Amino acid sequence: MNEFIRTRLLDNNAALVQMLGLCPLLAVSNTAINALGMGLATIVVVVVTNLLVSLIRPITKKEIRIPLFVLLIASVVTTLEMMMNAYFHQLYLTLGIFIPLIVTNCLIMARAEAFASKNAWLISVKDGFFVGLGFALVMFVIGIMREVIGQGTLFSQAHLLFGQWGHFIELTLFPNYDGFLLAILPPGAFFALAILVAIKNKRDMKIKASHTTIVSHD
Amino acid sequence: MSDQAESKPINKPSNKWLLPIILSLMTLFTSGLLMLSNHLTADKIAAIKLANKLASLQRLIPNELIDNDLLADAQMIYEPIKLGHRQEETLYLGKTNGRLTFMAIPVIARDGYSGDIELLVGVKVGGDDGGQITTVEIIAHKETPGLGDLIEPEKSDWIQQFPSKSLGSPPENQWKVKKDQGTFHQITAATITPRAVVSAIKQALLYHRQYLDDEVSES
Repeated sequence: MNEFIRTRLLDNNAALVQMLGLCPLLAVSNTAINALGMGLATIVVVVVTNLLVSLIRPITKKEIRIPLFVLLIASVVTTLEMMMNAYFHQLYLTLGIFIPLIVTNCLIMARAEAFASKNAWLISVKDGFFVGLGFALVMFVIGIMREVIGQGTLFSQAHLLFGQWGHFIELTLFPNYDGFLLAILPPGAFFALAILVAIKNKRDMKIKASHTTIVSHD
Repeated sequence: MSDQAESKPINKPSNKWLLPIILSLMTLFTSGLLMLSNHLTADKIAAIKLANKLASLQRLIPNELIDNDLLADAQMIYEPIKLGHRQEETLYLGKTNGRLTFMAIPVIARDGYSGDIELLVGVKVGGDDGGQITTVEIIAHKETPGLGDLIEPEKSDWIQQFPSKSLGSPPENQWKVKKDQGTFHQITAATITPRAVVSAIKQALLYHRQYLDDEVSES
């Protein structure tokens, strides 16, 4: 994996390291499918806004760049909401009020300001895709953790996202499971995120330690 | 990250006349984008909404059992106290040979966990099974995902316990969730939502009874 992709997916992951976009990350990760749907929508938004922000660089002046980005992001999200309502109505019903909330995801503003406003359109699209993917993956993993622990199921309601054949991947892992409410409620989201951040930090420390040993041997 | 890779040289302040022009142009552009996407999707969204409404009306009032046009014979009612309405709502009346045989009563539970829960309650009128619920449709709600939203038929079969119940069966004072010594199952860990829905359905049945009483006294 090259450096560009690895920083975005892992080393400087938007959710695990930069702690951006915690609102949707924590709110909609109660099941794997909700998390996946929201993650995909976020990828689309960050790719499109990065593209547009990059394209308007010639007329972007530093005094008004923030309102310009806000305008663009808000219209892209609203457009996406209308498109989903028309063409993916079931998914729209599930994700419901969280679609407009993509606007509040600071990840999108952060990529517009930090990357797309300074780079050409193609690389900005790539940046948006991989940063969004990194975010979506973390969200998906948190969704899996919370759903398995909280409800004892996996990919429940997958048909809302994948249509009829989604029923085949809906699994009940523990029949007659009473559920563990804490995992479904917001605190569960914080715990799941904390566990992932801890694992990530542990890995970083290991890598760092192995690097220093090599250096000291030299 | 390589964000700083291509940092801009610090610009001198921009021409102050240019800034509002750029902002206005951008506003025009984004408004155009929104108009376009609204234009492209509005018909489709309206069609989906109408189809959903007709499908849910079909479940509330089976089309083959009536001979009138539901949408044409609908009445606007406003019952803020009895049915929790915040504005005029549509009461659907199903008729057979001009006689009232079904009602679909709009009711709003204001005491849900978060925000209003909008319901349509289908009730049979007259005959042996008069007063029985045909089905209950959840029109809109904002209950907690994973908990309160188990009232949705796609997510659990909780709402399926109401069809063919009436004010006599279970008895009127039993129209509560089990936790409140009533008849109806609740949802584990979410009592407030089922409590609100059960009480709203009861209100709809009471309204149905009163509506018929009024009709008799009028004629």
